[in-house]
Amino acid sequence: MMSKLIILIISLPLLSALLTHLLAGKLGRCVARISVTATLLSVLLSASLLWLSLSGDLVGESISTSPWSVLFYDPLSILMALVIGVISLIVHIYSLRYMAEEAGYARFFVLLDLMTASLILMVAAGDLLTLVIAWHLVGVLLYFLLGQDTRNPSAYRYAFWTFITYRIGDLPLVLAAVLLFQAYDTLSLPVIFEQLSQNPTAHEVFGLALPEVIGILIALAAFARSAQFLLHTWLPYTMEGPTPVSALMHAGIVNAGGFLINRFAPIFANTSDVLQWVFIVGFISAIIGSILMLAQNDIKKSLGYSTMGQMGFMVMECGIGAFSLAIYHLIVHGVFKGTLFLSAGTIINKARKSDGVPKDDLYKFVVEKQPASTPKSWLLMALITLVVPIAILIISHLFVSADYFQKQGAIILLFFGWITGAQLIFATYRTHAQNLWRLLLINVFSFTVVIIGYTFISHAFDVYLYPDAALREQLYAAASIEKIRFDIIAVITTLIIVASWLFTYYAERSGKIIRYKGRIWITFYALISREFYMTDLYTLLTRTILSASNKLNVWLRWN
Amino acid sequence: MPDITLILAGLFLPLFPLSMVFNAVFDRIQHVALRCLLLIGWPQIGLAIIHSSDFTASSLPTWFIIWALATSLLYAFRMLSLRAVGQWNSFLATSMWATLWLSSSNTSQEMQQLYAFGISAPLVLLAFLSAGLEKRFGAAYTGLYGGLAQSLPRFTGLLVFIVLAAIATPVFPGFFIMLKLIINSSATMPLATLALLGIWLLWSWAGVKLLQGLIVGTASQSEVTGVNALKDFNLITSWSYALLLIALIVSSIYLTGGLS
Repeated sequence: MMSKLIILIISLPLLSALLTHLLAGKLGRCVARISVTATLLSVLLSASLLWLSLSGDLVGESISTSPWSVLFYDPLSILMALVIGVISLIVHIYSLRYMAEEAGYARFFVLLDLMTASLILMVAAGDLLTLVIAWHLVGVLLYFLLGQDTRNPSAYRYAFWTFITYRIGDLPLVLAAVLLFQAYDTLSLPVIFEQLSQNPTAHEVFGLALPEVIGILIALAAFARSAQFLLHTWLPYTMEGPTPVSALMHAGIVNAGGFLINRFAPIFANTSDVLQWVFIVGFISAIIGSILMLAQNDIKKSLGYSTMGQMGFMVMECGIGAFSLAIYHLIVHGVFKGTLFLSAGTIINKARKSDGVPKDDLYKFVVEKQPASTPKSWLLMALITLVVPIAILIISHLFVSADYFQKQGAIILLFFGWITGAQLIFATYRTHAQNLWRLLLINVFSFTVVIIGYTFISHAFDVYLYPDAALREQLYAAASIEKIRFDIIAVITTLIIVASWLFTYYAERSGKIIRYKGRIWITFYALISREFYMTDLYTLLTRTILSASNKLNVWLRWN
Repeated sequence: MPDITLILAGLFLPLFPLSMVFNAVFDRIQHVALRCLLLIGWPQIGLAIIHSSDFTASSLPTWFIIWALATSLLYAFRMLSLRAVGQWNSFLATSMWATLWLSSSNTSQEMQQLYAFGISAPLVLLAFLSAGLEKRFGAAYTGLYGGLAQSLPRFTGLLVFIVLAAIATPVFPGFFIMLKLIINSSATMPLATLALLGIWLLWSWAGVKLLQGLIVGTASQSEVTGVNALKDFNLITSWSYALLLIALIVSSIYLTGGLS
């Protein structure tokens, strides 16, 4: 039953692509309804599959007589198939009217259907070859979706950046697949994971244990797909493509990196240093993505860098061993980023009517005759900022699991939650609202609801995606570092956070706000406004390669 | 295997600078049927020479494999700056055929011949399309006219699929052949594996560059609708090409992909 369902879920968009292409001439723009209906059916089937899976029948494979083209329906693939289907359906429905005036209307829906089928095939791949094929096809299809407007060379230029980065990311995955096949003489992912968990050190490559090498290669493939630092430049520049494609890309396709790391979780569980590097790359990407996002004045480009930052967080979560949390993150990010892209046009329209910039205190006092708020004690506010969020976080997590704080990854996540909560309270304080305590209470209540929801949902994800508690523990252990080193880092980070907030409140109250002037500030601004010169560097590199190729051809007389 | 036979085989499974012979011949021959014959027959002659001698995989020296990989890499790299479609086709053929030297170990003669045919088949189709461009525009050259997607939509659709097939995109034969070569080399020559991956990347780059130079841009109104509108493929021609591509995919999956 389940194996038939998973085959149908992939076949429906494929069939729809074929019918849309064949009937486009007869049905005109109505042909898109076939595409929407097929996607809707695919979503309904995915939902049924999830329901069956939650009812208890958890893992299995579709029947296949060949060594590849095997489909796998475990909790990860079932959940991801539903997420992809829902995002694709929203994009399909949005595109019905959005693309109505564009040339190549039917082609667009054919490509959307093929992309949906490829993405679902990727998450449901039960063998290495099917996974590599689907992974590769997603990059090719995205290139043509981004270049939907064939009259626009600029759209194709940036679509090419995406394509080549994705191809660079394909290669480590191919290599990983080949090494795994060489070692285990099978393409089947479940068989490989089973054999590997029984004896992780059975095989070596270049003097390293096989899981280490595979972990590195899989991480590299994931970095390219999820726009991690040094492989990120394509993401903010692909805004020339249609908005629905941007939504699909940011909500669904870039998340594939997180999925891939999760798919190979049994291998990462047997690595010793890889996850720490994954954490560092994710952390750098998150910081740089967030900084560059703040420096943009174009809403879509800003959203592009925001995605880079979010992908950084997602990868970072994998790096601390919280694999299921990364899946939760990519789903939530997909939903909100898709919404942001699809409503970007409305926001731009609104911004044309009102800039939305808050009025300053002087304006409110003189023009609106609002009395100035009574200043609160900076020390009291700083203490509330530091204590309330961490208390909420600790209590809510204790409800879920008593030994939660034994995991290093959990502590790192707490730091991020703490900083976010503190930032919320500080932002509330800076509004200088008349009734600050009331506003603060509402915000803290909202924060509490979010944290409780997040804690329980992420715990549910953990149990559903990784029912094997031993594997969960193994992942956290693989991501851990030596206890004494971790404790020292944790204490130093805590001191920095506490000192920073105290200083921030003191400086805010006393008016001693540091003004960053001079060369350092200008250099930093130049760096972020030029996006760390990464695009310039890659453009220069590309031109050099093409010029060298041309010179070689001239020298060899074009033969 | 005698060195002279090896060198002769290196002319047909082209190794640089012997590869320049094939490219010069291909360039001189303008007739599309002859070009197709050359694309199909040239590597088969090379394979026939290899198998007519008492060749064993172990008798192939390592430097020969390096030479083959260097040739493939050289032509893949040079493809990046090509604008003539015919030349692009012959360079890709050279680059791909050179990799067949890596299949010499643990691959049967029939399989090697099938690989060579699998590589040549999309190139033959591309040769036909290249001739079609020359007929319509007087030259098959990227960046010269552009906007084919608007003026010749059916032709463009087929061109896209054929170029994708040529650069070893899944699920065309080149993809499975590359995977087999990578699997073969990874056990004994890890550096050759990395070189193959690099070559594959260059093919993709060159393929996309070729497509962008032909299909993207604004076609003039007269080319699209006017009295001088370019003649696109009719339905029968389009379906013939499409069926050939479908046959290529199906045979690729079953014969080179091992899905049987």
